[in-house]
Amino acid sequence: MGVTCLTRKETFLIVQSLLCALVTGLLTVSALCLYFDGAAKQAEGDLFYYMYTRERVGARLLPILPLLFCSFGMTVAGLILGIRDDQADKPVRDEKLLRNQGMIREKAVHQVATQSELYLRVAVIALAVFLIVAGILNGGLEDVLAKGATICTECVGLG
Amino acid sequence: MDNTMNQEKKAPEKKAPETQREKLQRPGTRRLVQLYAALLYNANLKGFIDGHIYSGNLKSVCVPGFNCYSCPGAVASCPLGSLQNALTAAGHTAPWYVLGILTLFGVMLGRTICGWICPLGLIQELLHKIPTPKIRKSHITRKLSYLKYVFLAVFVIAIPLIYGIGKGMILPGFCKYICPAGTLEGAVGLLQNPANATSFYQLGEVFTRKWVIMLVIGLACVFCYRSFCRFICPLGAIYGFFNRFALAGVKVNPDRCNSCGLCVMNCKMDIRHVGDRECISCGKCIDTCAQGAISLKCGKITLKGPETGKNADPEPVIQKRKKIGRIAWGIAIAVLVFAVCWFNLIEPAIENANEPAAAAVATEQAAGTEQATGAEQSAGTDQAANTDQATGTDQATDAEQSAGTDQAAGENQAANTDQATGENQAANTDQAADETGSSEPKTGPEAKESGTPAAAANLPVGSEIGNLLPDFSTDLLGEGDFKLSDHRGQVVILNFWGTTCAPCIAELPDFEKLKVAYPDVEILAIHARAGAKKAKAFLEDKGWDHLDFATDSKEKGIMKLLNVSEALPSTIVLNPQGVVTYHAQAPLSYEKLEALFKAALADN
Repeated sequence: MGVTCLTRKETFLIVQSLLCALVTGLLTVSALCLYFDGAAKQAEGDLFYYMYTRERVGARLLPILPLLFCSFGMTVAGLILGIRDDQADKPVRDEKLLRNQGMIREKAVHQVATQSELYLRVAVIALAVFLIVAGILNGGLEDVLAKGATICTECVGLG
Repeated sequence: MDNTMNQEKKAPEKKAPETQREKLQRPGTRRLVQLYAALLYNANLKGFIDGHIYSGNLKSVCVPGFNCYSCPGAVASCPLGSLQNALTAAGHTAPWYVLGILTLFGVMLGRTICGWICPLGLIQELLHKIPTPKIRKSHITRKLSYLKYVFLAVFVIAIPLIYGIGKGMILPGFCKYICPAGTLEGAVGLLQNPANATSFYQLGEVFTRKWVIMLVIGLACVFCYRSFCRFICPLGAIYGFFNRFALAGVKVNPDRCNSCGLCVMNCKMDIRHVGDRECISCGKCIDTCAQGAISLKCGKITLKGPETGKNADPEPVIQKRKKIGRIAWGIAIAVLVFAVCWFNLIEPAIENANEPAAAAVATEQAAGTEQATGAEQSAGTDQAANTDQATGTDQATDAEQSAGTDQAAGENQAANTDQATGENQAANTDQAADETGSSEPKTGPEAKESGTPAAAANLPVGSEIGNLLPDFSTDLLGEGDFKLSDHRGQVVILNFWGTTCAPCIAELPDFEKLKVAYPDVEILAIHARAGAKKAKAFLEDKGWDHLDFATDSKEKGIMKLLNVSEALPSTIVLNPQGVVTYHAQAPLSYEKLEALFKAALADN
């Protein structure tokens, strides 16, 4: 009556996806808890209260570690046993996508670039070289170095 | 009969031909190239051990793939981060250099970069290996693939330009709000090292938001092939523009192609045809094309072509290609070995040999202090604290010193900081904070202990809290000189900043405000890695007239001497004796600054 039992493989895949989602969810919740706890303390007027410290992060991560290891173990087992979603490797026959097949028949792709494309390529390479030289002369190179040699804490998400 | 039987017996010994699925599952050349590129981009392996990023001159070059330059291993810059940085500065420096580099990468390699030499692509593909049910491409994912152009237009171009030119603010939108590579390689890469324990103090809203975004993107990649690459990556969007005429990429022989569409249907990316803006030239279609019409080319050179089927390349051609491939791998491995040796062994050795002048001054000062300390110790004075700090054995001493300096600094920071290790570790900061339950500046005998000139003279020279900061001198952008020892008797605040660092620019007005409110404080803002001319040009219309400004460079070596992290902004507060009462990498508000100043003053 349309009810099908899950095979072992399907069960494995579903359990693994639940584990992945659970680990991600717990990691998210842990970070949010640390943040809101810290924000509350800071709102109370504690100027130098730190939201995250190694100890607090460690304490939050510890309960998640078994799940993380479990998920990792299942991944390794799945890879060794060759368990995977077979559908993933099958050709996609999405109707709306197939409508785009007309694009293929137009032979828009090409093996050898046309003469105009070759000219375009050469022109763009020349432009790129010109821009690089102009950039070196106007100090753009030092800007990249100054940025790269230091850590912008805001950019990487530190603060 | 015997012959037939022998043949039957021998038959099972023959190796069965590799099935298509086996062929797809084994790690191929592409995976090895991806690993190779990830290693080469992050050849500064010692960075993962010492927790510092590479800051050599090669950082002025961008790598083609997505690799955060704040990753401890990164030896070059991220093209997308550099582009945003250049656009924020477009008001005074045209971004020609980064645009030129991106154009060059694009026209040479196109999105082959995404498929072959992007470390973030590798991470996404590895996440997708986790065995779960997979979401396949559809017309919905095809539409979602346009989203990356929105990210490119809004976060990479519009936000940096509008804030940079319009408001004079540095705001690399994509880096700050989204980039998972920055969070994973930069933030987590730095935080995992105990040497950067104090970096935890600056984590807050920005980190929480980016952490959650990174997790969501990671989870999406588990279920959906290259989710970030297909729907979000602005760098892929830029390279996609060049895909059609890029030198390297997957090409189709129109004479052989029968337009069966197998290549498109088997491709996991949202392509309409092979080689379009979504194609990452992974080369999977070469194996699936029954016509042998597809090959991976670089100009006229075929890197990978059909090896089976009716239109397979001739055997000698395949053998020749393999032979060239082996030679190329040999050269590539030699380059990698050289890079690893250079960044981890040779360059540090050269740097140590060319010790900056400032460091030499400090060494002399340290030697002087050590001698004095040694003399007093031999005279039987109680110098156990200093000895223990130097040897790194006595934790009780650390606690005492912290009580005298850190807590006096009004921030409860680093109560049990291991000053002996010189790493600014503050493992038990929180406990200390919780125990004291107050951030009020402390006074009393313990706080005074390091404040007396006699005690200060006996303190070890260093940049950790409770140490006597090494003396140094520098010019003030052509407006006189600054010598640290000339300011004994004053609270000195050293701020390390950069024109490319938004939080640095945001906090400098507060330093100015503090200087106006308390003229006795000496504030020196040192620009990391910049020439005086550039810093002067930036400061011209800012109106921060009460602050002293200087610049640092590799040759000056002030940051190295003071053990200041590459993470900006960094601030060091000294009490009137020149003893460090605060040293951390975090933006400071006016209230915090004032509290730190008062605590340092009370420490006198």
